[in-house]
Order: sequence, then C-alpha cells, then structure tokens
Amino acid sequence: MAAIELDEVTKRFEEGGRLSRLVDSVRNAERSDDVTAVRNLSLTVEEGEVFGFLGPNGAGKSTTINMLLDFVRPTEGAIRVLGFDARDESVDVRARTGVLPEGFDVYDRLTGRQHVEFAASSKRLDEDEADVDAVLERVGIADAADRKAGGYSKGMRQRLALAMALVGDPDLLVLDEPSSGLDPAGAKEMRDIVTEEAERGTTVFFSSHVLEQVDAVCDRVGIMREGELVAVDTIDSLREKSDADSTLRVEVAGDVSALDVEAVTALDGVRSVTVDAAADSLTVSCVGDAKMAVIDELESQGLDVTDFETREASLEDLFLSYTGHDAPETDEAGDGQEAHA
Amino acid sequence: MTWQAVARKEFDDSIRSRWLHGSTLFFVLFLGGAAALAFGFLLPDQFKDASNLFGFFVDLGIFSLSFPGLFALILGFVALSTSYGSITEERETGTIKLALSLPNSRMDLVAGKFLGRGAVVVAALLVGFLAAFVALLATGTSIGFESFVPMIALTVLLALAFVSVGLGISAVADSNREATLATMGLYLIFGILWKPIAEGIPKLLNYAAEEAGVGALENFTRVKIGLFLKYLNPLRTYETLVAQVYYGPARARLVSATTGEQLAVANQFAPAQGGVPIYLSGGAMLLVFLAWIVVPTLVGYYVFRERDL
Repeated sequence: MAAIELDEVTKRFEEGGRLSRLVDSVRNAERSDDVTAVRNLSLTVEEGEVFGFLGPNGAGKSTTINMLLDFVRPTEGAIRVLGFDARDESVDVRARTGVLPEGFDVYDRLTGRQHVEFAASSKRLDEDEADVDAVLERVGIADAADRKAGGYSKGMRQRLALAMALVGDPDLLVLDEPSSGLDPAGAKEMRDIVTEEAERGTTVFFSSHVLEQVDAVCDRVGIMREGELVAVDTIDSLREKSDADSTLRVEVAGDVSALDVEAVTALDGVRSVTVDAAADSLTVSCVGDAKMAVIDELESQGLDVTDFETREASLEDLFLSYTGHDAPETDEAGDGQEAHA
Repeated sequence: MTWQAVARKEFDDSIRSRWLHGSTLFFVLFLGGAAALAFGFLLPDQFKDASNLFGFFVDLGIFSLSFPGLFALILGFVALSTSYGSITEERETGTIKLALSLPNSRMDLVAGKFLGRGAVVVAALLVGFLAAFVALLATGTSIGFESFVPMIALTVLLALAFVSVGLGISAVADSNREATLATMGLYLIFGILWKPIAEGIPKLLNYAAEEAGVGALENFTRVKIGLFLKYLNPLRTYETLVAQVYYGPARARLVSATTGEQLAVANQFAPAQGGVPIYLSGGAMLLVFLAWIVVPTLVGYYVFRERDL
C-alpha cells in the first residue's frame, strides 16, 4: 500500500467575498480572479520513504499538504493517505499521521505540556502510551514545558508543534517547511529527528524551499513549479543530471563584443551564452563535453583565450533551473547580452 | 469522537483569560451586590424575599423594567463576547491548524468549543449566583428554592443559547471582523429591533387581509401573533419564563407587554377563560429556548464543515 496517492488533483481557489461571488454567478460571469494553486498533480509516495517536496514559495506545496489533511478540499481528483480517503476518512488519516503545519500558531495561554497533552488526548492515548515528558525531551523544550507557550520563540513553537506531531508514534509524518524559524543547529536537530523516524519505518513527507535540507535526508524529491509537478526523482539521479551541466567562464584578449554569439550558441551541448563586454569575458552554460568545442570556436573567430575556468553545476543550480530561476551566475551579467539555445 | 479533548483544551485556555476573570468578577458584583444592596439596605424587613429582586418586574405598559430583563441583556452580551471569536480567531492566528492536524473532526471542534466555552460562561455565572446566595443568607432573606433554582437553570439555558449564537456566527464568518459586526448587529436586533418588528408584522398582516378583502383581523388574534413573534426572542423567552416561575403563566404574559397587549390578554389568559394557548405556553417557550441552543451551532457546523480553512 502506498502511503500517499494523489490522482489528477487540482485545486482552484475562488477569490473575492461571498457577495462578489454571488453577483458573478447571477451575471453568469467568468471568474477571472480565481487562482489555480495545484494543477493535475499525480504523485505516489511509498511506505517507509522519505520524500522531499520542493519548490519556491507559492508553488502549491502547502496547498497540496493542506489537501492531504483535509484543511482544503480538492476541486478535482482523488487523494488517499495511508489507504484512507483524505476527505471522508480524514480523522483516520490524522489518527496515524503526525503533522507540523505551516503558518500555525500556538495557544498563548496554554503551557507546552498542555499542548502535548491535548495532542495525546486527541489521539486517544493513555498516559503510558503518550509519554509526554519523553517527547518534550526529544524535541528539546523539556525545560520550558511548564511555561505558557505564548512566550515561546518561533523556534520553540516549531519544536512544540513537532512534539505534538511525534506523540503516539505516527506511521506518517507530514512536515511543512519544518526548518523555518530554526537556527542552523535547530535545523540539524530537526533533520536528525526525521532520520530517526525514517529508521523506525515512518514515512516522511516534507516540504521545503531550500534544497540543502532535503539533500541529506531524502530518498526521493518532487519539485513543484506554479502548481505543477515538474520533476520527481531520486537525489542521486538528479545529481547525475546536474553533474552533466557545467558553467564555463572565459576571458579573452580583444573585443569580445565582436563575437558572433549565434555561432557559439549553435554548438552542440551549449545551452546559453552571456557576454560581459566590460570585463572582456563571456559565460557559457553547457554540458561538460562541449567545453573544448566552445574554446575552439572562440579561437576560430580570432579571439585569444587568456584564461578560463569551469564550474560544475550544483544541485542547487538544477533546482533553480527546474523552478524557473536562472542560476545566480547568469543573473549577475548586468550589462551583457544574452542568448539562449 | 474527541470533543472531550477539545472541550478540555477550550476550558483550560479560557479559564486563564482575563475576559473570564473580568466577567466572573462582574457577575459576583452584580448578582451578589444587587442582593446585598437590596436586602441589606434598601428594602424593609417585610420584603426580605428573594423574589423581590430576582422576580422584580414593573409592567406599566408604557414603561417596563425587570431585573431578569436587564440581567438577560448583560448575560447575552457576555456570552456572545465569549464565543463569537472562538473559530474566527483560531483561523486568523493559525491555531486551528494545530487543532485540526490532530484526529479531531470538525464536529469535535465545534461541539468541544460549545461545551468548553459554555462551561466557562456557566461557571462564571454560577460563581455570581453563589455570591448572591451568600448575600441572601447573610441578610436573613428567605430564598424560596422552588423558584430560585428553576430561575438559575433558566439563566444557564440563556447563557448557552447566546454561546451557541456566537459560535454559529464564528463558524460561518469569513473573518474576525465579519464575526464582530454580525454579533453586534444581532445583539442590536435581539435587544432593540425585535420588539418593533414583532409589533409591525401583525399590523402588516392586518393591512394585507383588509386589502385582500378578507376583512380585518380580530384585535385579539393580532396580539397573539405579535406575542408569539416576541417570544421567539431568547431574551424575551427568558424574561417571560422567569416571571412564570415566580407568578404563574397568565401574569407572566403581561411582563414587558404594551398597554394594548395587556388589555387584550389580561382577562383572556386567565385559567377560567381557558388559559394560555399552547403556542404561547411555557412548554412552547422552553422548546424555543432549546432551539436557540441547538440550531445556531448546528447550522454553523454544517457551513464550517464544507469550508477550506
């Protein structure tokens, strides 16, 4: 049985208040300001897997997670979590799932311990099963457990919500941006907890807009962009793809603006060429094997190559290229001309 | 079902709120203070009976004042204020995501809120009545439990009715601001506008009947329609039922009534004339009261169940 199955899921949010919706429906007008947050998303996460759900802010990650938990309902499509229908059997889903939601807040007047006790009694655990103290200890807020949560820092609130998620040993952990608000040490602890849980056989589904956090712990990642899933792959396979890409920076003697950019761009394996006239240099993004061909072409155009360096594209660059952002290097070419293959 | 967990959380949370401490203190001062003032200082010894305060009604037709009527207005305000933000505030801060990440259904959430917040208001209220009870004992006033206890029970029902109304608004509203405005509007309707509207409708019906050529409605019929509509207001239901507890059904129907209504019903509702009609009876009003407790929360739940957070 798959832990999470999404089948052709679409979510459209209706914008505007009730009145404007009513007026539009009476006038039979098209709703132009509706927002499609998730479009035709199909995805399967297997049991025991650690799945990283990546994408920039606003890509539809949180909406997808909110649909898994029945916070919002899909406009179209079917969702099953742990074998249960995400909508009709949501309580069964959440009984076996620990959740760290995004954009949550704590109950200011309740203590940390009362929060975890609320989680335990909602999950119908008795005192032995819950072991509230152990959970508080595990997330590192045992010292502050009897203080009101209203006085907690952002990072402590995040830890408290994680404690509420972990109590009762869930089969599935759904973590929405778990490291937000945590300092580097806290983020590391969070990763360790994820790894521990995964070792116990818990399925972990977590979202992030920072690739580094996913890199170390995930078996597979899915990348979202503007509501659509643009890639699903293992980290290793993604890395292979990214290794094939490299960036070549060439400094030339002579007038670089005389360069026939089109001819360079037309070479096999070249993806883009950026010319920086002020620095007499150009930056070429290409597959590794095309480097020599680029140098040869420059020399045949009568430009002497004085220096060159190559840089392997990082996983980060690949992620950015999937999510529709250029790698930072090309962004810096302020006054250069740019041509894309 | 995990509504107990939610109710417990609500109660633990509210019991620490300054609002609750304030309203408890207020009930103590108001109920206890009124009893101490009335029986300790103002009233002579022969009037030392709890009914002279908790059953205090002045019905002159053009001018009506009653202790239960006044207290109902205040209690309604406190109960509404305790509940109208219960869901919208959780949505705006994001705490609802914690509550619904756990295996609580939306029914658990709404039911737990109703019981938790209801318990808080009722607790504050009972502390107030306890203070009044102590004041009654201290001043050597006769209490008359056969009416004092039902009066408290009715007050508890009134508190629950307004908690339910506020919770219903909170479940339906899009934002806290919307909930605040709706609550204020509704309070205005219950407190002020209900009466003229209930008096206007029989006149309108009468006019329509005349125009249709059916002939004018009998005055007594018009008054009964008007009274029935007025008794749908929980504030008025409460006031009338409390009066009935102290003075019996026929007398209670004169409470807060206009001179015209008093003249029309004064003799007709006497037991010798067949008494109060069934749809204006205490039983019918108790049903209206229960409906105010159940329906707003239930409607709120059905709307809330279908919504995205």
